[in-house]
Amino acid sequence: MNETQQMLEDTVNRLFGDRLGWDQLTAIEEQGFPTALWAETVEQGIPKVLADEQTGGMGLGWADAYPVLRACGRHAVPLPVVEASIAEWLARQAGATLPDGVPGLLTRTIATDTVSASALKLDNARTPWGRTADFLVGVAGQGDGAELIIASSKGLSVATEENIGRDPRDNLSGNAALIARHALPLAPDCVHWLGALARSAQIAGAGAAALDLALKYGAERSQFGKPLSGFQAIQHYLADLAGVVASVDAIAMAACTGLDQRGMAPLGRNARFEIAAAKCRASEAVEKLTRLSHQVHGAIGFTYEYGLHFLTRRLWAWRAEFGGAGEWGEYLGRIAADVGGDGIWPVITA
Amino acid sequence: MTSTADKLRFEPTALPAALDTLRAEVRAFLKDALVGVPEVKRSHSWEAYDAEFSAKLGAKGWLGMTLPKQYGGHGRTALERYVVVEECLVAGAPTAFHWVADRQSGPLVVRYGTEEQKKEIVPAITAGKACFAIGMSEPNSGSDLASLRTRAERTATGWKVNGTKIWTSNAHRANYMIALFRTDPDPTKKHAGLSQFLIDLSKTKGITPRPIQNLAGGRNFNEVAFVDAELPPDALLGTEGQGWRQVTEELAFERSGPERYLSCFYLLRKLIDAVKETAAPATLARLGSQVAWAATLRTMSLSIAAKLNAGQDPALEASVVKDLGCQFEQALPGLAQELCELEPTLEGHGSDYQQVLGALVQVAPSFSLRGGTPEILRGIIAKGMGVR
Repeated sequence: MNETQQMLEDTVNRLFGDRLGWDQLTAIEEQGFPTALWAETVEQGIPKVLADEQTGGMGLGWADAYPVLRACGRHAVPLPVVEASIAEWLARQAGATLPDGVPGLLTRTIATDTVSASALKLDNARTPWGRTADFLVGVAGQGDGAELIIASSKGLSVATEENIGRDPRDNLSGNAALIARHALPLAPDCVHWLGALARSAQIAGAGAAALDLALKYGAERSQFGKPLSGFQAIQHYLADLAGVVASVDAIAMAACTGLDQRGMAPLGRNARFEIAAAKCRASEAVEKLTRLSHQVHGAIGFTYEYGLHFLTRRLWAWRAEFGGAGEWGEYLGRIAADVGGDGIWPVITA
Repeated sequence: MTSTADKLRFEPTALPAALDTLRAEVRAFLKDALVGVPEVKRSHSWEAYDAEFSAKLGAKGWLGMTLPKQYGGHGRTALERYVVVEECLVAGAPTAFHWVADRQSGPLVVRYGTEEQKKEIVPAITAGKACFAIGMSEPNSGSDLASLRTRAERTATGWKVNGTKIWTSNAHRANYMIALFRTDPDPTKKHAGLSQFLIDLSKTKGITPRPIQNLAGGRNFNEVAFVDAELPPDALLGTEGQGWRQVTEELAFERSGPERYLSCFYLLRKLIDAVKETAAPATLARLGSQVAWAATLRTMSLSIAAKLNAGQDPALEASVVKDLGCQFEQALPGLAQELCELEPTLEGHGSDYQQVLGALVQVAPSFSLRGGTPEILRGIIAKGMGVR
């Protein structure tokens, strides 16, 4: 890790480690959006690490911002930090400045014909933390042309939903007044790709935290007169878990580095290959991450009182969000079919 | 807040741009050199023995790459060697003749050999003219290697060896063997009683290899009997009683390379070609999942290569990649059968695809036996995570 990454990792781990214990996570699930914690997160600049320095951001690339994305998984962060990071990076690419407040990231590509001169027509548009959003950010377009759309969140109807991690995934409908629109030098489906990348990093983080809990519990809990982790079967679960966590972390980091270096232009060898590989592997890994971390914990891990579920429920939700192993596997399978058996290694090593 | 999970990270590694040129040269060379080599032989890759091919690779300057120039090596970086090795594996080049020599014996001789040994052996390895065997396992000592009993006793003229080694690849045709023997029979010195020896097989009497046929009919490995085999004094490699530490170093070379996930890559290439025209989305998804695995393992493997290149000891990381890589390569033959619904066939029967499938499905069980079993690797990983 470089100095920037280390500094960021320390900052986010300190903040979220202090503020997001199991009691606090429980309280947030009961009481809703933690306004004070969001304010503190904003104050420390965390949602703006990928934002342009001109707009008060840190202007970092994805590799340097990776510790923040991963920490959002590690601490089961019930805030739209990742979504804000994507919105800020998009704004930076478009040369736009986002309003202050909580952003609502429209996760699906906006159809061009729903954008008029003054409004964006939404019909059940899925928006993480839509109920709390002070403004909306999305990408409209078809073919190669894309536009960044910034719209008001006022006066919309909100059908509240939560994923099984109990994070808000609301559906917004109605006419959202346009605040700004900017040409965006990216493909119209870029939110889906960036979301897949961010969820991969979060899965890596939540997997690491689940492993840490399993290691701790294995050392503390005794049966048959010795700690659980004294049993070879448990040691092998933990080793297997450690390897899978490390593998997701490795490909997610590689995808972030790839995005910084190659971008996402639709043609040629770009970072789409690594992003697809990351989300495919991350989503596939969730089965083992959750199964083994629960198995080591036994029945206590199945209770609400013990907080492993804050991680594992999110892992199950994130596995599907922004496409699962089926979708991303198919994307990679098509690349393989296109380049053929002789061509796949040059793609991997490019 | 401390995290044990964070002890195991695989930072992305960018290969220096200059290596692109080397990679292109290696690819072009392999494309020509492998014309006419049967598909099934290519699928065996680092288990296919071809002295002529190894000599050609040596002539290109691509063996003993990291060994010091003063002894006839090329003084190049571990990353340069990594590029050559991974390209050979993916192309299905027959590398068994030089494999052990280039991977571990060369570095071991440079580190522990005498001046004469280095001057004799390094140029031979570099030229692709030296085939090495590894004498580690014994009939009663497999994963519990340190329980081995083959005894080397000091004599007036050197050493006398009695005992048996087993699973020794290429012992019947190798030029040299580096073996681990018990030099101190004191039962309290399980590890401290071991020493390594460098044996010139052409000059040593009393060593009899007996090929063991594997389940697929192949005859690569052997049981090797040592009956009063007499070795000169300088056959002792390194320090007497330090054999365990030296062998652990050797195993780090043996476990950390890209061959630990690429054994079936040739089959993946064939599978892609077999299904590319007709594959349904669900089939593409399963194919793509393997591609994602390959990309992930390559990232991790390269990260290890960079650590080795920087002089670090990535033994824990190597165990992880070998364990994961083995799961990947062992699952491929089954998937390749299922997605095509073709029967695996014996060599000389059926299509090339069926023969490659037949060869790899039969050798796949060995992937999780050679170089350390998952049971051993996971023990090492658990220990690295502070569990044991």
